[in-house]
Amino acid sequence: MGLLSDIYNTVAKFFRPQEEQGDASKSVATNRLKLVLMQDRTNLTPKILEQMRGELIDLLSRYVELDKELLELNFEQEGNQVALMLSIPVIRAKDEEEIEAALKAEAEKLEQKAENMEEALPEGENSDICEEDSSDEQDMVCESSGSDNTAMSTPEGMTSNNNQEESQKEIQFEEQGS
Amino acid sequence: MAGRVIVITSGKGGVGKTTTSANIGTALAKAGYKVVLIDTDLGLRNLDLLLGLENRIVYTIVDVIEERCKLRQALVKDKKNPNLSLLAAAQTRDKSAVNAEQLKEICDTLKEENDFVLIDCPAGIEQGFQNAVAGATEAIVVTTPEMSAIRDADRIIGLLEAKEEIKSYKLLLNRVRPSLIKSNDMMSVDDVVEILSCPLIGIIPEDTGIITSTNKGEPIVNDEDALAGKAYRNVAQRILGEEVPFLDLDEPKGFMAKIKNAFAKLKAKV
Ligand SMILES: Nc1ncnc2c1ncn2[C@@H]1O[C@H](COP(=O)(O)OP(=O)(O)O)[C@@H](O)[C@H]1O
Ligand SMILES: [Mg+2]
Repeated sequence: MGLLSDIYNTVAKFFRPQEEQGDASKSVATNRLKLVLMQDRTNLTPKILEQMRGELIDLLSRYVELDKELLELNFEQEGNQVALMLSIPVIRAKDEEEIEAALKAEAEKLEQKAENMEEALPEGENSDICEEDSSDEQDMVCESSGSDNTAMSTPEGMTSNNNQEESQKEIQFEEQGS
Repeated sequence: MAGRVIVITSGKGGVGKTTTSANIGTALAKAGYKVVLIDTDLGLRNLDLLLGLENRIVYTIVDVIEERCKLRQALVKDKKNPNLSLLAAAQTRDKSAVNAEQLKEICDTLKEENDFVLIDCPAGIEQGFQNAVAGATEAIVVTTPEMSAIRDADRIIGLLEAKEEIKSYKLLLNRVRPSLIKSNDMMSVDDVVEILSCPLIGIIPEDTGIITSTNKGEPIVNDEDALAGKAYRNVAQRILGEEVPFLDLDEPKGFMAKIKNAFAKLKAKV
């Protein structure tokens, strides 16, 4: 019995060489497809992604000094979930004083904006709260891209803050659902 | 009588719209229903070839629209089945010869005297698609289990959803190869249905018989033995509202599978 099933197994393996290694092709296709359809279906046009990128830069800049040129925002598949990957080369973290100053400036800006809004919208409608239908919950993962980005050679004569140690700090925040 | 007007569409070209139109049309006609097939693929007419009617075309849809003939005159009856007729596309005219309103008018007229009006849609999402969809209230979206075809099908489904006149749309998955699905090199039926979240109306296997049937100008539904023919007959039955289980395409066939099967049996005995 042992011998026969050994023979069987050897022969069977010969006839299905793909089965062991083949999982990749299909699941790669499924994952890539899910991603691209998500982009196709949502209104996340390149323009809106660009706007999102800009706002994220504004937000994060209150706390850290970023290399805005090298910042990347992409969709990626993480297991079963689609994640929005923001890769930001961090130049340095800001100190408390700087952060406070930045937050204060931001608060003032908001106040100003609110005043302007009130003038423009006497009924005081909350028109810019938009509800995402979030049937799938999505992560937002945000991390610095590490040394390979910031270690890129910069043209001579340019002052650059590229310091390996500093650039490897990571910011990571995760947000589940809403 | 007001018949049903169904558009067969896909986004991507070459996935089997024309093959599907010819086969479903033939199957419905064989089941006793009056069917008109309209080829709206202007400049790339093929449906006449698949039905073996290419030598009988005198007038085309453009002749009807430009009033060179009556609609009735342009309908070509099938050789075998008088229930089935074809309104052919023009082969030479440019695509702007037809607009959506004109096509809708033709569909509205034809559905008065027929049980089914099936529209073979051109590839793409532009004017040709808009024209083909204009008179329809139902759609069959054809795709294969390949990424690009599925992506285009998703676009089409989005466009169909936005059309008020389209009351229902279903997915037809063509050229399925069980051996590839088994080796995890092709997306399975479940994968595709899940990704597109669209109800399924048929699964058609890859079948070389489709090539020979095209050569002969005779739809494969006429071949009682062909698996693809059976699958298309099942689609026709589902269109008629019957509940037909999906074919099990998983039966091992071919030389290798037989050997494997024999070994499996041997092993089971030991
Ligand atoms: N299930 C199938 N098995 C094998 N060949 C097929 C199958 N379905 C379609 N084909 C072939 O694919 C080609 C394109 O089919 P066609 O119906 O003309 O596509 P479309 O109308 O969407 O462009 C044809 O050569 C046809 O014979
Ligand atoms: Mg075609």
